[in-house]
Amino acid sequence: MSDRKLFKTVDTKIWILAVIMIGVIIVLTFVLPGNFLTLRNFQSMAYQFPEFGLLALAMTIAMITGGIDLSVIATANLTGIIAAMIMTNYLKAENAGDPAAISVVVLAIFAALIAAAICGLLNGVLISLVGVPPILATLGTMIFYSGIGMAITTGIGVVGFPDSFLEIGAGKIYLFPVPLLIFTGCALVISFILNKTSFGLKLYLVGANPTASLFSGINNRIVIVNTYMITGLLAGVSSMIMISRFNSAKVGYGDTYLLQAILVAVLGGIDPYGGYGKVSGVVMGIIILQVLQNAFTLFGFTPYAKGFIWGLMLILVMIINFGTSRYQERSKILRMTDQEVAD
Amino acid sequence: MSDDFLIVDNICKSYVGVHALKNVTLKISSGTIHCLVGENGSGKSTLIKAVAGVVPIDSGEIIINQKAYPHLHAIDSIREGIQVIYQDLSLFPNLTVAENISLNQMVEERKKIITWSEMEQIAQRELDRIGVRLKVDDLVEDLSMASRQIVAIVRALTQDARLIIMDEPTTALTKGEIDSLFSLILDLKNHGISTLFVSHKLSEVLEISEKVAVLRDGMMVGDFVTSELDTNKLVFHMTGKEIVHSTFQYGGKKSGETPLLELMNLTKKPNYTNINLSLFRGEILGITGLLGSGRTELALSLFGLNRPQSGQIKINGRSHRIRTPNDAIRAGISYLPEDRHSQGLFLQQSIGTNLIVTILKRLLNKLGMVSEKKKLKAMTRYVKDLRIKTTTLEAPAESLSGGNQQRVVLGKWLATDPKIFILDGPTVGIDIASKSEIHHLIKNLAKEGMGIIVISDEINEVFRNCNRILVMKNGKIAAEVDPLQTTEKELIELVEKKNGVASS
Amino acid sequence: MLDKLLKKHETYLFLIIIAYAVIVTSVNRSFMTFENLFDILRSGAGMGILAMGVLVALLSGGIDVSFTAVAISGGYIAVRVIMATGVDNLFVAFVISCSIGIFLGLINGLIISYFKLPTLIATLGTLNVFHGALTTFVGTESVNARQMPSCFVHFGSAKIITLANDQGSIYGLSVFVIPLIAVIVMTWFILRFTMLGRGIYAIGSNRESAKRAGFNITALQLFVYSYVGFLAGIMGVVFVSEVRWVNPVTLIGTELTVIAAVVIGGTKLTGGSGTILGTLLGVAIVTVLYNTLVLLGLSAAWNNFFVGIIIIISIGITSYRNKIKNRKSLSFKT
Repeated sequence: MSDRKLFKTVDTKIWILAVIMIGVIIVLTFVLPGNFLTLRNFQSMAYQFPEFGLLALAMTIAMITGGIDLSVIATANLTGIIAAMIMTNYLKAENAGDPAAISVVVLAIFAALIAAAICGLLNGVLISLVGVPPILATLGTMIFYSGIGMAITTGIGVVGFPDSFLEIGAGKIYLFPVPLLIFTGCALVISFILNKTSFGLKLYLVGANPTASLFSGINNRIVIVNTYMITGLLAGVSSMIMISRFNSAKVGYGDTYLLQAILVAVLGGIDPYGGYGKVSGVVMGIIILQVLQNAFTLFGFTPYAKGFIWGLMLILVMIINFGTSRYQERSKILRMTDQEVAD
Repeated sequence: MSDDFLIVDNICKSYVGVHALKNVTLKISSGTIHCLVGENGSGKSTLIKAVAGVVPIDSGEIIINQKAYPHLHAIDSIREGIQVIYQDLSLFPNLTVAENISLNQMVEERKKIITWSEMEQIAQRELDRIGVRLKVDDLVEDLSMASRQIVAIVRALTQDARLIIMDEPTTALTKGEIDSLFSLILDLKNHGISTLFVSHKLSEVLEISEKVAVLRDGMMVGDFVTSELDTNKLVFHMTGKEIVHSTFQYGGKKSGETPLLELMNLTKKPNYTNINLSLFRGEILGITGLLGSGRTELALSLFGLNRPQSGQIKINGRSHRIRTPNDAIRAGISYLPEDRHSQGLFLQQSIGTNLIVTILKRLLNKLGMVSEKKKLKAMTRYVKDLRIKTTTLEAPAESLSGGNQQRVVLGKWLATDPKIFILDGPTVGIDIASKSEIHHLIKNLAKEGMGIIVISDEINEVFRNCNRILVMKNGKIAAEVDPLQTTEKELIELVEKKNGVASS
Repeated sequence: MLDKLLKKHETYLFLIIIAYAVIVTSVNRSFMTFENLFDILRSGAGMGILAMGVLVALLSGGIDVSFTAVAISGGYIAVRVIMATGVDNLFVAFVISCSIGIFLGLINGLIISYFKLPTLIATLGTLNVFHGALTTFVGTESVNARQMPSCFVHFGSAKIITLANDQGSIYGLSVFVIPLIAVIVMTWFILRFTMLGRGIYAIGSNRESAKRAGFNITALQLFVYSYVGFLAGIMGVVFVSEVRWVNPVTLIGTELTVIAAVVIGGTKLTGGSGTILGTLLGVAIVTVLYNTLVLLGLSAAWNNFFVGIIIIISIGITSYRNKIKNRKSLSFKT
């Protein structure tokens, strides 16, 4: 271990990811000629990944603060159900084109996002004010939110949305699928917040060392609460896309996304202990995963086989990450053992 | 020599690019009291861990009881009779006193099944042997610092130790308890058990030891006979330099001047009660006392991390409520924390980032974004002002030496333009050269009108840098001392007396 | 004495259960019948067995979420092997299932101790790897009640005590309590009376101190995760016998509920602190809620809602008390 570089910059990791991403696409183009590198295929992927991508972004932000949000999917499902119930209760199919319908749609979306923010707020409050560890808090809220959703719907899907709403999941603006635009917009906003604002810097600091940030005058509570509210909101946006694409809202959509969201975050360079990572890395991770997902479907893998591969990738990526000096030092410092720098 | 219990023979140990130990040789014979001294960074901790088998060495040999161990494991070291009492005591907080005392013995004896009565018996027997009163089924996490230290010592003694290594054992003990410890060490010597005592309190080193080994920068400067040493010689060996000492002259307050900081009947039970003090501009006020006397707790209250129950805090005559660190910062108070690694720095973040975390609001441009230009300007300025030795702003803070790290913490607080600066243990774990530079810096800040409070364990530090010293005991201010009118020795006695208030 | 009792977390759990029992019984008298209680015991046995494993993992300062995949792998493979070889013996079934459990548990242990990965994410990975491997390489055919080998069927319906109710139908205390009690006793013995147990508490309490005291951290961790796997293997056979219909895609998804039950029981996520009694009470609360809300007239759709609330409140209280304690001692280590 004598040649470890202590100061590995973020950029080398991002370049490596970019190379992997392009490499994977090239390999798959050859392996699946005619099926893979088509506009239609890429467009179909562009409709599919944003809902997951937003969830992964949400997970990323929570992890940067040194936490985790196990409740993102349950939040998404619940907010989707809320929006769905508003839309189906106030509209019948024949009013689909009615201008009044649009206002109901807007109301539904608005209500869903507020609900999403409240879900996130509860997480933030539990973690920062009550002092519950993030895993447990979001575990509890995950079960609770899915419980609410289950109680409201008794497991039956809520179906039948107006056309204007379905535009979200199926529409296009000049060749670009609407979901893709939404995702790109959110990713840019999050990236901006993390890189350019003082709030973003505080996020990293609280994740890196919450004690030091407390002692530096940073208000940890506000940072954490805001973090999880953003997480909730992203889950809410994701759910709008999801239920629009499925034209129904149900408990249990997207359960497999949880592992994948964590995988993508770790792949993208996020340190699960907090304080480190960039959106660009996560985005590339999302693309790599989507591309692989698409290829596996074309190969005919079962969902379980895919899960097998994701799990394997997660472990391998962590092993590689942990082989580098960065994570070893971090986890050592965090475990409050003495530093190995000579004392 | 064949009656040497432990021979450390020419060992080397490096970590990433840092030579922690370079060709270190040390011989300890049975029944001796040996001290190990060295600045922070000298390699003391690594040497201890190497002897304990917790850390593997790169080259050389460790010979215990005439048996050579090229790859020493913790269990071997323990079996040979080497017991280490680490500075953090290495106890198990969620387990009971009985478990903590007897666990190591059971590991060593390779026991598979345990009987609780046996554990309690062992523990009680050992506690009685030392003459200590502790309940064996109390959880360690509920004990006081001094009691924990006793548990650690008792534990070390249960396992037929031949050599006990104590790393800074006296930090939390009163004079009386230290005396008991020393007579215990002498008792051990009479039974053929050696002690290796690591301490930075040179007066103690000279009092208890027969030989002193001095480490500097990873190398063994020498193994000296104590009777041939005095403090100055010892410091010279440790640092290679002669240090010039100076005291602090305070200009004196103007007549009718309102105190910069005034505390009236400040109380937070059980930390401290009825604290009354004033601090004037340009003063350096020292607060000293034993661990647990309430000094840091008081400081934390002034910084918004330990809300007082009653009393007033007045700054420049105006009453302030300080509920959060932010309140304190806005009132002009800065606090340099005790533990710079976990409280003062973001070790993995860059030096530059560490310097500006306190002034983020000032670095925003018109759109509310962090301006790279302003950021860079601030970072460069503070690196320069504080003479932080680094080639780049991007290097992580953990790459700096202790002295430079402390400068970063100082820098980040000076950036907030404080009126009142509270420094808690500002030179702990810092090499002597940096220490005097930091003292110099503090004195300059006072001359420029800042009010400074220095909280410290080290009597000579408060003596040479403060114009007034408060001694805290059990949460109260027990005495106020003028360094120009007392001697260091008198101050030490004041601090370490068990109870009673002495007049200055 | 009384205030020492009041300080204990277990006391509150006990009170919650009693309060709940009183409320439900006042609404629906069939709660407090042997038939109902035996039913609860039967369905909670599996979770209880798994919870013991989770407890041990949490005590060591780690966490394991892969145990459901291990359990279903053990159970399903045992069924298929017995069907294929015709050796209709319950003991053989346990041997197969537990061997698989220990094997998979060792994989977890090796990954965690050798690579020092964070345990949550590592076991999240192995959960998917094990499950994926099972479905991809062993298959996804269901085995229904007709095809199920008789050893499982008998195990599932065997009773220790048999009674008849007012309508004349027979019910009884399921034989499942035997493995449950065996697992509880075994875990209790290990944790309380062996150095192995002390070692587990030690590494969870302060890992570096444990290392310095001479404990073999790697060996302890390998034991912990193999033990979880072993218990999962036992549970696999119980599950298969209980449900009498097995398909490799079932059971997965319930792992977080088990962990929630253990945490409700007062076990700290950071390690070194937790009791068997607390865990059992936590499992009891979750099982009782899942099974008996119907007696209050609520459909099963409300289960997660209430369990979720209980988790949040219970964890909230423990965490908040911990936070106050830290604040009093001015410990800022989060």
